[in-house]
Amino acid sequence: MRAAPLPRYSRRRALGVGAGLLLVAACGGSAEDVLTPEADAGSLRVVMGLAESEWRVVREVVLAPFEQQTGVRVVPVQMEAADLVRQLDAQVQAGAVSIDLFTQDNNQLAPLVAKGLVEDLTPYADLIPAETPQALRPVLEFDGRLYFLPYRPNVQITYYLEPHFAQYGLTPPQTWDELLAVGRAFEAREKFGRVVIQGVPGGPVGVVVTEFLWQGGGDPLELTAPGSARAFEFLQQLEPYLSPVYQTAKFDTINTYLASETAYLGQNWPFGADVIVKQYRKQGVGAYSGWAGPAGEFHVLGGEVIGIPRGTPRREQALEFARFLMSRPVQEALVQRLAWPPMRDDAFGAVAEWQQPFFAAVQAALRQARARPNVVYWGEVERVLSDAFRDIVTNKQPVPPTLARYQAQIEQARAAAR
Amino acid sequence: MEVSRPPVAPGPGPAALPRVPPPLAAPRPALPERLRRGWRRHWLDVALVVPLAAYILGFTLLPVLQSIALGFTARFGGAFPTLANYEDLFARPDFGLAVLNTVGITLIGVALELVVGLAIALMLARAFPLRGLFRTLVLVPMGVPTLVAGAAMLYIVGVNGYLNELLFRLGLIDAPIYWPQSGPKGMFVIALADMWKTTPIVVLILLAGLEAIPRDVYEAASVDGASAWRQFRDHTLPLLMPAITMAVILRAIDAFRIFDIALVLAGRSVPVMSTFVYFEYFFGNLNTAAGAATVLLLMIVVFVAGYFWLVERRREAV
Amino acid sequence: MSTAWTPGRVGFYALAALFGLLAVAPLAILLKVSLSGPEDVLVQHPPFWIWHPTTEHWAAVLKPEVIWPPLRKSLVVATGTAVLAVVIAAPAAYVIARLPRGWRYGVVLALLFTRMFPEVIIATPIAVTFLRAGLIDTDIGLILAHLIRNLPFVAWILVGTFEVIPRDLEEASWVDGNGRLGTLWSVVLPLALPGIAVAAIFAWLDSWNDLLYAIYLLLAERTLPLMTYYFANRGSVFDVATFSVVLTVPVLVLTLLLQQYIRAGTLGGAVKG
Repeated sequence: MRAAPLPRYSRRRALGVGAGLLLVAACGGSAEDVLTPEADAGSLRVVMGLAESEWRVVREVVLAPFEQQTGVRVVPVQMEAADLVRQLDAQVQAGAVSIDLFTQDNNQLAPLVAKGLVEDLTPYADLIPAETPQALRPVLEFDGRLYFLPYRPNVQITYYLEPHFAQYGLTPPQTWDELLAVGRAFEAREKFGRVVIQGVPGGPVGVVVTEFLWQGGGDPLELTAPGSARAFEFLQQLEPYLSPVYQTAKFDTINTYLASETAYLGQNWPFGADVIVKQYRKQGVGAYSGWAGPAGEFHVLGGEVIGIPRGTPRREQALEFARFLMSRPVQEALVQRLAWPPMRDDAFGAVAEWQQPFFAAVQAALRQARARPNVVYWGEVERVLSDAFRDIVTNKQPVPPTLARYQAQIEQARAAAR
Repeated sequence: MEVSRPPVAPGPGPAALPRVPPPLAAPRPALPERLRRGWRRHWLDVALVVPLAAYILGFTLLPVLQSIALGFTARFGGAFPTLANYEDLFARPDFGLAVLNTVGITLIGVALELVVGLAIALMLARAFPLRGLFRTLVLVPMGVPTLVAGAAMLYIVGVNGYLNELLFRLGLIDAPIYWPQSGPKGMFVIALADMWKTTPIVVLILLAGLEAIPRDVYEAASVDGASAWRQFRDHTLPLLMPAITMAVILRAIDAFRIFDIALVLAGRSVPVMSTFVYFEYFFGNLNTAAGAATVLLLMIVVFVAGYFWLVERRREAV
Repeated sequence: MSTAWTPGRVGFYALAALFGLLAVAPLAILLKVSLSGPEDVLVQHPPFWIWHPTTEHWAAVLKPEVIWPPLRKSLVVATGTAVLAVVIAAPAAYVIARLPRGWRYGVVLALLFTRMFPEVIIATPIAVTFLRAGLIDTDIGLILAHLIRNLPFVAWILVGTFEVIPRDLEEASWVDGNGRLGTLWSVVLPLALPGIAVAAIFAWLDSWNDLLYAIYLLLAERTLPLMTYYFANRGSVFDVATFSVVLTVPVLVLTLLLQQYIRAGTLGGAVKG
């Protein structure tokens, strides 16, 4: 260390730089706190969980036209499904609700109802257009009361890489037996599994296991039923031929696995087409609705619904906006621009050419779509399904005793919910 | 800059200084008067130290105690003290896995870092052209954020990564290896990723130790006609022990606490203690999180104490 | 040294070249990926060279609305941590440096002892406390958390800095009539500034790189490391590489500048002592 003191201007400069940085930061400002209630009666705060590319379209075909037609400004807020539950909980408890309307993943509705965070919309049931398919309605109700409005249904489709299938003379599997055969074929030839399922505990595994359970003739709330046991046995049989990356595969990472050809067959939501084909410029990607088990082909109905937080001061405008979201012109625009399947039968839109095979797969899968059981303790069920998957499929534990043990946990959750 | 040093074995110390008799003075005043005088003289010192002391007490010691207490509190009902959380933890396979992975990564990592670090330090101790460049290059990973080290390793140890690609091109494998999985493969790649960033620190410590060894030790040995290896083993290595000890302790403590790299590279597939605690917290199980954290602290304390005890025994034997 | 190319010398240089290469290869890979098109990365056999260079990833990341929020947060928190760490630790380090030898050892040992605590044991209760106090997502909350790790380290460095300043200078100043505070400000501080600068830079770097406290304490806002982790978690291969480069460049620059202070001699005193 030098013995001579630094000249004074260095000291001042150091202080200046430090102050300057802090000043810059202050001017840059922290993220605008859009969630504090403002005395701005003319605007509506709407929360959605979208990608940036999706927001651009929504702003153009939904928010701007609504403002033009009604004069009500809509302030969009981006938030993921899990964070929405936390924010609403905090706001409702504090009695200061600033979110007027939200769209929420319909796998995450139970906690909202259980904590009393949403308005009872039963008096407004006639807002739902008559053209809404019956299959979309069960998920909107809890205990006979209507809490949500339909917005956009969604379903997973099956992606596959054509060149690799052609290389070995294989075709995309339509049944469980074919799925097992394809898995074996790839693994034998490449000494590495090339079929992937989403194995991350929680939501991803919940959807996968539920679909297999239905396809086997079982039910996620009845794990000891013969159909359920059959499904788990099949998964246990399939596991050695799965790509080892299945343990970290979920709705976002699986796109990378498919795009990087770590796996040649996998199921994911339709937005994956946008990522794999458009963003990553992958060639030879095909899609179809998926495979059928002994009891048929079933897919979990995903997607989003509209909800209105309890105690929002602008309920009438929120309902007006909800009606707008469900209207035919808006639904058609969303089909055309984002390839989102519509919630009404009479909405047709021309989809871009490269998207057509994927959109066709989505519509085929929607015809086999089924809503999960709408119980408030679904979070617990998801956890049980994840643990059962880990024990039986990954760790190869015997099926009947394991399922019995986990069924007991579901019974507990069911009893606790009453 | 003085730091803690390994304990010195009891034995004849340096020659004792002659005792200076205290000056004849008036009998010492009573305690209250002494305190008052002390305060008047030292109030500024106390004021200067208080912020730091208060911060460490409140933001470091207190949370640690809170965690330990939380680990002994029941999750439902708040009964205290209870061993329920620990029973729960030790029954869970992923907890045992986390302990195993942490210990394995520490052992593998520290061993590799010592070997490679020593090799590089020995190379840097010699004068050769381009030594400056070599030194700069080798120290670069030290400045890289741990997270980035983990992210970079993703492209190396991933299924389509460069490690597999290298092995493939060398003809050693014909199918990709999935590295980040539970077991020795996962431990190895995490240790490797950690080692990339931390070997420079080991190099610096060992280099400092090497440069502290006086030249005449070498000259005396050369005169004896001893080979380079024997010189190293009998002369350099014992004198290097303090540096090696420091390196081992520092690195082991940090390896036990590994977090960023394990999280990025392997997430929940290869849990280590720190990521296990984090995931417990993330899922709302505060009590088991605190319990696991306490176990980790215990592991570190046991290691450090055990290591020093071993070193003490070795010194006494010598 | 003889100039003959013995096998030993060839082996030596080969090994040195290998180590040097391995030291920088991961960073080069990150840079390469950030500049490569998907055709070069999302394939089963990635090439070692860039055949499809592209700036699209950088263009996507360097948009103000993408890069500025995490960058701002990282800058503010790192600078705040560095400033506060010095402000709190320097005065205390001065006092500790003036303690008699035995006490000094003990205090420094105690400070370094805090390093043994795994951070998760501190972060878990801190996160709960901050949640109740409303400090989640705030800049000041994260600064307070970063100080936990940095205060002992900065204090350790500064104790060494203040030890080197001769007491005679101080005493001379007292004799001249300056009070203790005056002496601290006009005599001690200027001499300690290089050491303080080094300590501040260490603290800044540590805060800039932190992921653990960021992950515990931030929900809606993110620092640069948290953004990088977020992308790694989502499998966004290119965003991870690009953000990693953004995160690393200031660190590399500052570390190379600091290298002259991380001499073997500095640590040598520690090892010898």
